Amino acid sequence: MRRTGLIIALTLALAASMTLAACGGGGGTSDSTNKAAAPAAAPKCGAGTGQKATGTPIKLGGIATKQPGTDFTDIPNAAKAFFDCVNDNGGIKGHPIQYVIETEQTDPGQIASLAKKLVETEKVVGIVGNTSLIECAVNHTYYEKQGFYIVDSGIAPECYSTPNSAAVNMGPRYSVDGATQYLLRQGVKKVVLDQSNVPGTGYIEGGFLLIAKSAGVPTASLKDNVPIQDANSIALKLVQAAGSNGGVVLNFTPPEALKILQAAQRQGLQNRVKWACSTPCNTDFLSDALGSQWNDKLGVNAELNLTSASGPDSQLYRAVLKRYAPKIPLGSFSQMGFVEASILTKALLSVSGDYTAKNVNEAIKNVKNFQTDILCKPWYYGSAPLHIPNNTDRTVTPKDGKMVEKEGCFPISDVDPAIAQVRQIEAKG
Amino acid sequence: MPSWQDFQPFIVAGLALGGVYALSGVGMVVLYRTTGVLNLAFGAVGAMGAFIAWSLINSLHWPSGIAYLVCVAFGAVVTLLYGVLFGPPLAGRDPLVKAAATLGLALILLGTMSWVWSDKARSMTLPTTDHGFEVGTVLINWTQIIALALGVLVTATTAVFLRRTGLGTAMRALANDREITAALGVPVRRVEAATWLVSGALAGVAGLLLSNLVGLDAATLTFLVISSLAATLIARLRSLVMTFVAGIVIGLVNAMVTPFFSISQYRDMAPFVLAIVALLFLSRHEQISFARRSE
Amino acid sequence: MRRLAITLALLLVVLLVLPPLLSSYWIDVLTAVAIYSVVALGLGLLMGRVGLVSLGQIAVLALGAWIAAKLDFATSIPFPVVLLLTGLITMVLGTLVGLPALRLSGLYLALITLMLAGAITVVLTATQFPNGGPGFLSHTESSFGSAAIRRPGIATSDPAYFRYTVIVAALMFALAWWHVRSRPGRAWAAIRQSEPAALAAGVNLTFYKLWAWALASFMTGVAGGLLASHVGKLYTIQFPTSDSITLLAVVLMGGIYSPWGAVVAGALMKLLPALLDSWGLPADLLIILFGVGVLQVLLTAPAGIAGQLPQDLARLGRAISGRVRRPPPTPQPPSPPARKGETVR
Repeated sequence: MRRTGLIIALTLALAASMTLAACGGGGGTSDSTNKAAAPAAAPKCGAGTGQKATGTPIKLGGIATKQPGTDFTDIPNAAKAFFDCVNDNGGIKGHPIQYVIETEQTDPGQIASLAKKLVETEKVVGIVGNTSLIECAVNHTYYEKQGFYIVDSGIAPECYSTPNSAAVNMGPRYSVDGATQYLLRQGVKKVVLDQSNVPGTGYIEGGFLLIAKSAGVPTASLKDNVPIQDANSIALKLVQAAGSNGGVVLNFTPPEALKILQAAQRQGLQNRVKWACSTPCNTDFLSDALGSQWNDKLGVNAELNLTSASGPDSQLYRAVLKRYAPKIPLGSFSQMGFVEASILTKALLSVSGDYTAKNVNEAIKNVKNFQTDILCKPWYYGSAPLHIPNNTDRTVTPKDGKMVEKEGCFPISDVDPAIAQVRQIEAKG
Repeated sequence: MPSWQDFQPFIVAGLALGGVYALSGVGMVVLYRTTGVLNLAFGAVGAMGAFIAWSLINSLHWPSGIAYLVCVAFGAVVTLLYGVLFGPPLAGRDPLVKAAATLGLALILLGTMSWVWSDKARSMTLPTTDHGFEVGTVLINWTQIIALALGVLVTATTAVFLRRTGLGTAMRALANDREITAALGVPVRRVEAATWLVSGALAGVAGLLLSNLVGLDAATLTFLVISSLAATLIARLRSLVMTFVAGIVIGLVNAMVTPFFSISQYRDMAPFVLAIVALLFLSRHEQISFARRSE
Repeated sequence: MRRLAITLALLLVVLLVLPPLLSSYWIDVLTAVAIYSVVALGLGLLMGRVGLVSLGQIAVLALGAWIAAKLDFATSIPFPVVLLLTGLITMVLGTLVGLPALRLSGLYLALITLMLAGAITVVLTATQFPNGGPGFLSHTESSFGSAAIRRPGIATSDPAYFRYTVIVAALMFALAWWHVRSRPGRAWAAIRQSEPAALAAGVNLTFYKLWAWALASFMTGVAGGLLASHVGKLYTIQFPTSDSITLLAVVLMGGIYSPWGAVVAGALMKLLPALLDSWGLPADLLIILFGVGVLQVLLTAPAGIAGQLPQDLARLGRAISGRVRRPPPTPQPPSPPARKGETVR
């Protein structure tokens, strides 16, 4: 009896998963990049020698969220693609980079233990590519004690307010600032912020409220629980709150923002107010799903350049992904991973002594004037109580299933005190 | 305080969601009354059906009509398979054990969905979602109309079916006593199989509608079953009409609280609070229990 | 007696031998295992001894963590007292909730606790997880609010906190054992056999059901207190309603009759994910595994035998104990639950 039960259960599970693998498999990879026919010339990264690195490896690590509904692993995986490219081009003076990716499920205990695992068990010499809802908050004191300088993609407030974290993106608060500035330039009479009810909402709305206040525009700041179960009602609520000639800023993950925007479209609300979105909306999948009805109607704050940009780094980015990680879609996530890995490579190449954690982190901290056409301004680390090196960005908008540029690089308002503080630090050099 | 005019669109949204809750609730109550199984995998089955439909349309480029049918058929077949395989061995057990076993199915489906389809966000739009009409200032789309209409239709048909047809009478008899019904010559297994099949098809339909009204997201759709569950609890897992009313009320309360910003964040509590209050109120003079065959 | 000696010896091994052998990563994982074992013990006690099923235990855990965090921030009372107070306050709250809910039984009780858990989760999400800010419900973004929740002075390091947690967990297991062995245990056994018979024998049904409910809430509250200080930060997303369902699954898989089942359940919930991760397997596999486990467990009990759920479940707890308690070999030193389970039977 018990044996049959087990077998039946297993068969059911197996049959179910097999059917699905068959149907679902092809879904993820329909990007234009993957259709290219002839293999282009091998991309040159790092030293660019074209020789495979064979020395003793240099170990780096990263932690990213991966759970149903929230998956940030594209970022470390894109970083890994770049490191693979570096390893095929002479590595770091002959040493290949070995990159360990840990995934977490927003459990603080697990996140704390993973940082210890990387530093104490894996003995990595640098940490890069961290992207998590709460990792900065949980681990920043540990990194400070261990003397690790992290290059990450930030979400939690602590990624932007502590000495040992510098992100390549500007994070939800400053991206919401930028989206708000866009709406104010559009001449809205009231701004409404709606964000997902996750840790840090009070922090995120801070800059939004200050910027609207200094422009003399009334505000409403709302929160909705995710995953969203009643998008239709939420879209209606937002439009009513903004009133006529109002504007709405959304700060949600792409799937949740998509639910609200599609609900707005279903109810014919896309013209009733001006819509804006923080960075997560900047993916081609969203503009694709929205279709041409949203052309030029949604301003998305974009912390990084368009993936289709023509600069040398953007070209290298596309070439590296195509060759080393064809399954990762083009988008801001993979751009962040690419930029973070480029920064680390530059830092590693500048290390003169042994590749110890101390030397490597010193080199990371000393990165300055890192130029890339994926960011508006050069990136830097340095010793400061806080780091927001990315504080100038763009606005993009969907057009026929693609994102196109709507506004060129503009500085995030220094009405937000942390931005003012960072500008002072930058002025001092 | 929002004006009456502002309220109207929320009523539409609430009625549509309420319709699906009612539809799901009826599917669960019928199954429970016939087989004694409270199917907690109802949401997961529908969600998986919707994901399969998405893949058929977007990866294999099947015509969408057929994909929607596959979604409903998937719900029916998986639920039937579960019922045929696991129904008989668990038939004599406590309702709690039967319900817990369906949790097993829900977890298997949920895990499979997040394994296969977690690489990126997806959305699926029924053709009816893109078309609508205006009543006053409110834009109503056909999916919303279908959701409410199906809710009414399924409740009414099921109620009539149970009263007027042979199979319906057999189902009601089963609900009262499985063994005596079997002794009377009713083909118990076949009647139960029919119920599993119909209930599963309803799960597929609900999954398809919810993927449009709510979004195509495995965890959301799986646990949305809790809202329908609240409706069935308010009806004490018995009355179909009560289930329908409760489903509509839950949908409406949820939507109508939305424009009140101060309590808007708490609106997701609606199904829980309504179910708790109703259960405690109904049980104030008695002990409700699921003791077998004591109804 | 021999069993007690073996248990104590194993406890000593866990306390003294394991910490120096393991990296701080596995120490952290095992601390979580110990904490969730206590949660599983509470639910196992309710299900296996009294026949009450709660689908809201993770919400109770969140409540405990919340109370402990507030006490840790607002007062400087010694840590053991904080744990005790947390347990007691959680017990009172749990009992207040349980009082009306216990009028219901079986499936209705399970579902109403699920509804309550859902409601509590919504409140926690709406308020963010309350931290060091003023008042009972408030969340502050200030540096004080985001400061780490304190640990006991004698156990600030990870290995020390692991030992502390294991000792507190062992005390909870002892408390449960003592209850089962004495008067309440006999009353529960009578209730589980037959409520009318227990009533006829003069057992106060409501009182003893509430007692079990209060005991489980107390233990879960203490576990919440341990959890709050484990990482020093709390987030609403740590306590999703769906985890209460996962907990039911692992407790069933672990076996609800024996206290070792709770240890196995804790390991399934917190050690297995870490193992899967270190083998490079996806976390989704775990959910599928739990689903298969639940079906398997429920089917292995002999079908069609009249009797109440707890009897069924107890029998199947015994039936599967041999199977479940042999977790696969691990690259790290074997987990304590695996050793314990094998030695005892």
